[in-house]
Amino acid sequence: MKIIIVGAGEVGFHIASHLALENKDVVVIDKNPEAIRRVSDNLDVQAVIGSGSSPVILEEAGIQNAEIILAVTNRDETNLVACLMANILSPSTKKLARLRDADFDAYHDNFSEHAPHIDTIINPEIEVVRTIYRMMSIPGAVDVGEFADGRIKFVGVNLEDESRLAGAKLSDLPGIIGKARALIAAVIRKDELIIPRGNDRLESGDLIYFITEDDKLLDTLSLFNKYDQPVKRALIVGGGRIGFRLASLMEEKSIYCKIIEKNADRCAYLADRLNKTIVLHGDGSDQELLAEENIQDMDVVITLTKDEETNILASLLAKRMGARNSITRISKFSYFPLMDAIGIEQVVSPRLSAVNTILQHIRRGKVLSAISIKGEQAELIEAVALETSGIVSKPLRQLSFPKGAMVAGIIHKDDIIIPTGDSVIQPDDRVIIFSRREAIPKIEKILAVKLEYF
Amino acid sequence: MRWRYILNIIGILIFFFGLTMILPLLVGLYYQDSSIIPFLKSIGMTVVGGLILYLIFKSGKAEVISQREGMAIVAVGWTAVGLFGALPFYFGSGFNSFVDAAFESVSGFTTTGASILTNVETISKGLLFWRSFIQWLGGMGIIVLSVAILPFLGVGGMQLYKAEVPSPVPDKLKPRIRDTAMILWKVYALISVLETILLMFGGMSLYDALCHTFTTMPTGGFSTKTASIAHYNSVYFDCVFISFMLLAGINFSLHYQLLRGKPLIFWQDSECRFFLGTVLLLTVVVSLDVYGSVYETIGAALRYGAFQVVSIISTTGYATADYEKWPAMSQFILLLCMFIGASAGSTGGGMKCLRIMLCFKYCYRELFSLIHPHAVTQIKIGGKAVPDDVMRSIVGFLALYMGLFALSAVILAGMGVDFRTSFAAVAASIGNIGPGFGLVGPAGNYAQIPFLGKWLLIWCMLLGRLEIFTIIILVVPEFWRK
Repeated sequence: MKIIIVGAGEVGFHIASHLALENKDVVVIDKNPEAIRRVSDNLDVQAVIGSGSSPVILEEAGIQNAEIILAVTNRDETNLVACLMANILSPSTKKLARLRDADFDAYHDNFSEHAPHIDTIINPEIEVVRTIYRMMSIPGAVDVGEFADGRIKFVGVNLEDESRLAGAKLSDLPGIIGKARALIAAVIRKDELIIPRGNDRLESGDLIYFITEDDKLLDTLSLFNKYDQPVKRALIVGGGRIGFRLASLMEEKSIYCKIIEKNADRCAYLADRLNKTIVLHGDGSDQELLAEENIQDMDVVITLTKDEETNILASLLAKRMGARNSITRISKFSYFPLMDAIGIEQVVSPRLSAVNTILQHIRRGKVLSAISIKGEQAELIEAVALETSGIVSKPLRQLSFPKGAMVAGIIHKDDIIIPTGDSVIQPDDRVIIFSRREAIPKIEKILAVKLEYF
Repeated sequence: MRWRYILNIIGILIFFFGLTMILPLLVGLYYQDSSIIPFLKSIGMTVVGGLILYLIFKSGKAEVISQREGMAIVAVGWTAVGLFGALPFYFGSGFNSFVDAAFESVSGFTTTGASILTNVETISKGLLFWRSFIQWLGGMGIIVLSVAILPFLGVGGMQLYKAEVPSPVPDKLKPRIRDTAMILWKVYALISVLETILLMFGGMSLYDALCHTFTTMPTGGFSTKTASIAHYNSVYFDCVFISFMLLAGINFSLHYQLLRGKPLIFWQDSECRFFLGTVLLLTVVVSLDVYGSVYETIGAALRYGAFQVVSIISTTGYATADYEKWPAMSQFILLLCMFIGASAGSTGGGMKCLRIMLCFKYCYRELFSLIHPHAVTQIKIGGKAVPDDVMRSIVGFLALYMGLFALSAVILAGMGVDFRTSFAAVAASIGNIGPGFGLVGPAGNYAQIPFLGKWLLIWCMLLGRLEIFTIIILVVPEFWRK
């Protein structure tokens, strides 16, 4: 499967590295020789220097036999033109473009019907805002994903000493959990991903990923000593695109919201567009400003500036000054392991959101969504099981599933089944598969080749 | 530097390398010659040695290989394979000491073709087959082969590939390095099959045809005959060898493009044009020089002149004539050919045409900017500007190449080897050619080089094959600093 990626920025580089590790043929195009060098030095992909909107460069990259083109440069216009040229040169190639300008929001569907025929428009910022909102509403969640239109939640929570689950054997869990039906899919212990078996014990300090139905979520979280505390007041630091979108969402949800932005012009723009939100001109790491705005009464502080070091400091400061919770925007994956140590629990990453959004469109077969978990060691895939597949109409224990992968959920009509060895997948059920990175190509094969030919 | 991990990978390489010795063993069994026991011993030692390394250092799997580690794996891996490859020679008859066996083996792997054998025909057929076969393995590169067929190198393969094939301007044929390596080996194998057929068509036995193909395609130069290609004294064979030496001296990605339906690619590629043009020009000059003075007819002058020029510039090192008896100008041109070498991305050695060409352009640009001090100029190749850092690494390469050549020649002369021989022996080793001048000329061999001199030349051959940087970096103290 050949994939062309236009733009070797953060998102482009990251998707390229993700796909290259899955043994896909990836070609990356970028104008900037430095960016290209970073790609060719670090990744096993082909790198082409040039403008991704140029037909000559696209041909050189082999657009004719590419299955997918991803236009993810920083400029919306370049992405549009790249897809337009790709449409002329190779109409059958699936086109994905990243368009970040909010003005395009209402027109996403039009692009697929009209000229450039862009199959999917991606705006990771929308996804980031959604993720932030989910984190706000799920207490203690470090990582949140949704399946089956939000009816199944996939949540990562830190296990603390006081929790009843600390030290428990996995096989003893049903007795402890009781009415909450949750499936523990993975444990991250010292940056190492473990898929726990019956005899494994949960340890305090683990990051635990579990899957549960939406209405059982709060029960499950109470096992981790995390209780629901509704968010009424929020402070946003950084009024960029994401900050603006988030503030608009808060207004919609009637959450009292303040936003701090450094740039005076940007403040004016925000004040113009936002009605209920209080726009503050200043520095998010300025103690006096924070005290002046009653930081100690804030339910959550969300730091969203472009500079992740500032975000980290502002979050730490806010928590120290009495804010209940903080959500920090971080781009560098290499910082994730540090976050726990310095006391930052909830982190969002536009990059990870972009990767997740794009992944689900790249997966073969009838994949509805795909989410990669922190550090990208594993992925959750939601797909439709078709009748021709080898995985239907047999108890799960009889299936020969690749090592490192498991069925984490089955959605049969309106019922949600957290599977056991005896569960059977019916044709047209939706399945949620948890898979380590190594097993993904095999899972794709099962979903694409056996299930359906496109 | 994670040495455990590096040694672990090298263990795997040695293990699989040991398995390739089964092929010459089969040849030995077929001819029922004296090479069977040596091969059994060598296979045992190599396979067990590899396994022991693998098991001792079997630690947590690291996924990503850094550039530094890639260089270390390739440099140590080549040295190890060269030494293990010497075992059959050492156990077999005809080689007096381990240094001789190691010299022959490394000379094979690096596709040099320098030999310490005075009489090739006395060696058993199994050993001679091995001697040719290791050239074929080394030609396209053992690491490239491993990357292509051994799946566990998948992720780190790229760093290894870059360390083994340090082409000045890297060209990836396919997005994934594994596919690229696979294509190169397939093209290599395909051309090899073609040559074998053509040689058999001319009347060579399958054994001789294979052995010679195995040394033409990697531009190696070992022959199963003491007199090399002169043994056959046939115009047909000369023509076949000239053609295939030229093919082997051309960038293999061009062969791939030719097979993909671009018939004019040899002409369109500026480096290939430069290579073929240089060959043509030098052939004409040498032929005119030897016409009358050595050979009576223009036909003979052309035949021997062309063969020798192509053989040396492609860094193969076959001989059909004793060029020691040629006029001084021709000898000088052949010496220059040793330095020029073949194309980048080919199996040939030397400094590589691409670097020479860019060096010329660089010099011209300097002159140009003296005349037009304000002119903005760029060095271009195939219509594309060459980035400054590539230019810098090329200049660095040429300086290192000449510096190491000079240093090694001085050391060799210091061991009591005469001027002419030490000069040519080092040039022929570092350029991976084989025969030089003086004692090591086309009619001589390397047997009389002193003990330490042989080790020095072994090092030079490895330097040349891995294009200096990968080997020389190991002696830079900064490389070892934690």
